[in-house]
Amino acid sequence: MKREVAAEIVDSLKEAGVDFVATLTEANLHDLVIALGEDSAIHHVPVTREEEGIGICAGAYLGGKRPAMVMMNAGFLLSTNALATVCIHPGIPVLMLIGHSGGVGEENAGHATVGALTEPVLQAMHIVYEKVGRFEEIRPTIRDSQMLARSSRRPTAIVLNKQALR
Amino acid sequence: MKRYDCLRVIAPHFGDELVVTNLGAVRHEWQALRPHHGNYHLQNLGLTSSMALGLALALPHRRVVAFDGDGSLLLNLGSLATIANQHPKNLVHVVFDNECYESSRGAPTATAGQADLAAVARGCGFANVITAKTLSEFDEGFMRAFRGNDLYFIHAKVEVGAGDVPAAALDSQENKYLFVRYIEKSENLKILTSTLSRASEGK
Repeated sequence: MKREVAAEIVDSLKEAGVDFVATLTEANLHDLVIALGEDSAIHHVPVTREEEGIGICAGAYLGGKRPAMVMMNAGFLLSTNALATVCIHPGIPVLMLIGHSGGVGEENAGHATVGALTEPVLQAMHIVYEKVGRFEEIRPTIRDSQMLARSSRRPTAIVLNKQALR
Repeated sequence: MKRYDCLRVIAPHFGDELVVTNLGAVRHEWQALRPHHGNYHLQNLGLTSSMALGLALALPHRRVVAFDGDGSLLLNLGSLATIANQHPKNLVHVVFDNECYESSRGAPTATAGQADLAAVARGCGFANVITAKTLSEFDEGFMRAFRGNDLYFIHAKVEVGAGDVPAAALDSQENKYLFVRYIEKSENLKILTSTLSRASEGK
């Protein structure tokens, strides 16, 4: 991810009211995770496993924060039970920014299956999501996805494709 | 000592503290002893400590207590590293370790073997780790943490057995709304969004 893309995401999150972000990094998310850690307006919690981050975000929401979770799609798949039991069942929102490995443009053969499963699992969980690839889509999509998460009291997702991550 | 004995000893000291309970009998026991809108009954095995961390970071001036179990924490050991690094001084993480999956008919957990959760907590960076094997040790250790101003991990070695209490009559959705409304009121916060009717436009 280019630094200007990371900066645009951080600024858009703040504009959307997000003040608390849990992250699990990956090569493509590195600049975003570093930028989040350096921003004093956002409480940044690096986690050891993605479902842990979902629990932390849910607790932060109950305490009045406006949380988001940054992770790769492998981590999203790992978090499905946490999302179902901690967020969807009681009605707790969390905005998820999901890096999409294994989508179009993927050069690593090992990511193909996780890539192919990501959208069907989001759909199976009835999680509303938007796919983002172009710079100008970042700000409005973050704003609108956060709006829906808060009004619907449900998780929402933004799937960042390879174009956005490069 | 049993978990219910521990809870019964400390319940009278609770005021406006926030509590996150693990899945299983502990939520029914705690609700019977301390019915309060500041109790959050997590319906997930594993994330009790993470939920409590998020809450403690969001409200650093409120004491947050997590009543976790060994089976739950073993699912989420990494949370101890995250909690120690974040170091919320308002969080007391209590683990009732009965060395088995009691609510799932009692098969042994890893703590029935070689695993020592207090050692794991120390290794993850918790400076204040208390192990309690008797009720007086638990009472003394918990109250030190409860009255203190630092992050604590309390490892309570308990016997198997649940308190003779009724099932907590509280659905997840109901619990969420009651808890959030309580936080909104006590903290003067707006958490749940609401929209006016279009009929109000132009007034």
